[in-house]
Amino acid sequence: MDKLKKFLTYLFLSVAAVVSIFPFLWMISSATNKSVDVTKGKLMPGAFLGENLKKVLDTIDIGPALWNSAKISVTTTIIALLIASLAGYGFEIFRSKAKDRIFSILLLSMMIPFAAIMVPLYRMFGGISKVIPAIGIDTMTAVILPSVTTAFLIFFFRQNTKMFPKDMLEAGRIDGLNELGIFFRIYVPTMKTTYAAAAIITFMSSWNNYLWPLVVLQSPEKRTIPLLISNLGSSYAPDYGVIMLVILIATLPTAIVFFLMQKHFVAGMTGSVK
Amino acid sequence: MKKLLVLLFATVLVLSACSSKSDNGGNKGGNAADTSKITVWAWDPNFNIKALNLAKEDYAAKDSKLTVDIIENAQNDIVQKLNTGMSSGTTKGLPNIVLIEDYRAQSFLQAYPDMFFDLSSYFKAEDFADYKLGPTSVDGKHYGLPFDSGAAGVFVRTDYLKEAGYTLADMQDITWEQYIEIGKKVKEKTGKNWISLDPTDLSLIRMMTQSTGAWYLKEDGKTANIAGNEAMKEAFEVYEKIMKANIVKPHADWSQLVANFNSGDVASYPTGNWFMPSIAAEASQSGKWGVAPLPKLSKTPNSVHAASIGGSSFYVLNVPGKEKAAEFLGATFGSDSDLYQKLITEVGAIGTYKPAAAGDAYKQPNEFFGGQKVVEDFAKWTAEVPKVNFGMHTYAIEDILVVEMQNFLNGKKLDQVLKDAQSQADAQIK
Repeated sequence: MDKLKKFLTYLFLSVAAVVSIFPFLWMISSATNKSVDVTKGKLMPGAFLGENLKKVLDTIDIGPALWNSAKISVTTTIIALLIASLAGYGFEIFRSKAKDRIFSILLLSMMIPFAAIMVPLYRMFGGISKVIPAIGIDTMTAVILPSVTTAFLIFFFRQNTKMFPKDMLEAGRIDGLNELGIFFRIYVPTMKTTYAAAAIITFMSSWNNYLWPLVVLQSPEKRTIPLLISNLGSSYAPDYGVIMLVILIATLPTAIVFFLMQKHFVAGMTGSVK
Repeated sequence: MKKLLVLLFATVLVLSACSSKSDNGGNKGGNAADTSKITVWAWDPNFNIKALNLAKEDYAAKDSKLTVDIIENAQNDIVQKLNTGMSSGTTKGLPNIVLIEDYRAQSFLQAYPDMFFDLSSYFKAEDFADYKLGPTSVDGKHYGLPFDSGAAGVFVRTDYLKEAGYTLADMQDITWEQYIEIGKKVKEKTGKNWISLDPTDLSLIRMMTQSTGAWYLKEDGKTANIAGNEAMKEAFEVYEKIMKANIVKPHADWSQLVANFNSGDVASYPTGNWFMPSIAAEASQSGKWGVAPLPKLSKTPNSVHAASIGGSSFYVLNVPGKEKAAEFLGATFGSDSDLYQKLITEVGAIGTYKPAAAGDAYKQPNEFFGGQKVVEDFAKWTAEVPKVNFGMHTYAIEDILVVEMQNFLNGKKLDQVLKDAQSQADAQIK
């Protein structure tokens, strides 16, 4: 009976694993096939990886797009982590009724979809462009600014701060640290795993962000990777082998970031303080 | 810890420095006050972009000071960018010239009338196919310069036809019922399917409806015209007959569609002339294809052997540099017959500029299509396409019809199907 149970469990898990990993494998094998083979549904890896790679390097400006995406994602992640952790820390450590109310309003803003605020946001940046063109429409800063802090991230840090032992604050104060010192020297090192989890979440969403960069970036040389991929699929006869290869390349950075921080990520999601 | 912090801040600084540097460096996408440069947005590097580059080369001889910056964007991305930019009333970052598909044109022209520049005085509208002027103009003012023809025909494998005892001559001047009969015979003799269809794309219905001079919307372009639309009713019936005749190979996307023909699995396809390069891509099938005129509806009066599918036009936005942009369009796509010959030989794009049809490129026999003068044929059909007002909601209504079509194929009564679609459309587009 136990054996049967175990067998069924593994069977179910194997099926689930195949279902979730199959598209990924297909993408990889498609990157090594000709477009015609991809459309015919060929699943096995082919011999066209070199040819596809040559086409990508010859015809697509993938380097600058990767660099743009990297600049935007890394900057966004660093600033967002700093702001959101300070805010989450403040909301939890220095609690008051008024702050709790502000926090619930902040949480409400999570319910508003981005599409709803996109037009006013664009209008705002249009206005900014007239005064300070360097941070207006068609600049990297315009992509970064709206996403440097999200209600979700503040919420995430606040929840995790609940588990932060308050005694350590007292200890820090007795030892003569000022409040900022406590934050940077005690809180930040203790919450490393939370930071890692938040970094992965922010980096991934920033790397994959499509809608806002699409409307705010105009010059082709500022394009990010998702915009580049969208373009590749736009022609009347898209080359699927090449597209899959570009997508594969675009997936690598997020995969690397994830695998590097995987251990911390799991710990951060399940509660960080030991 | 301190080291880490310093490192973090240094990274932020370096990165933001990088980004601001490139900001100052290239302000190319926007309509800078500098009017010696114009920006164009279009999609598809092998078709529209290629055509624009030819025009740019030509124009360089006429005005060498003007820089034309052609930027490739996916069609849906252009729609999204235009909608956001225009609805926020910010012209910053918008291009001077933009390519818009004819089905969508009115939704932009009507929603943002101040954003477009009147081109009436920059080209002669009567030089262009009549049906193109419907979607591109408002109240007699021409905002769009017509580009490629969406004139439809039936691409058909003549070798399969022959096996079934037909020739291309049997495909002239036929009704859709006859088209289905030939298909059944071909399937019987060759085992090949007759047509490839995507259940979520009703381009067949669109072509049949337009061939009678009717459309999803009434002539005002705003009221849905579904219940009581005789042309659509018959189109739905024909569609059902095609589906039930066991001659359809389904496809889910563009790549499968093309594969169905390149692999030789499907024998015919009624669609726009822009499909020609995709068929000709399979060189081994050279000489085995022909193009027949579109079949017509048998019951609905006024149905002709012509309709358009797809096709787009150029629009000039009301931003600095608009006069230069309009002059550029007027001197190239608006009046240059030689350019249109090059478009055919180098891009495979058939324009809608009538005087160009007298040129040599139009009269060349095409070996791939068994020596048929396909371009001349398509040019002839372009002139016959009935002019309809695509209005503002073609795609919104099509989304409704796709669902109702499935209900119809599953046995729902046709009158009820159209009535339901009408009420849904009324509720949605008001």
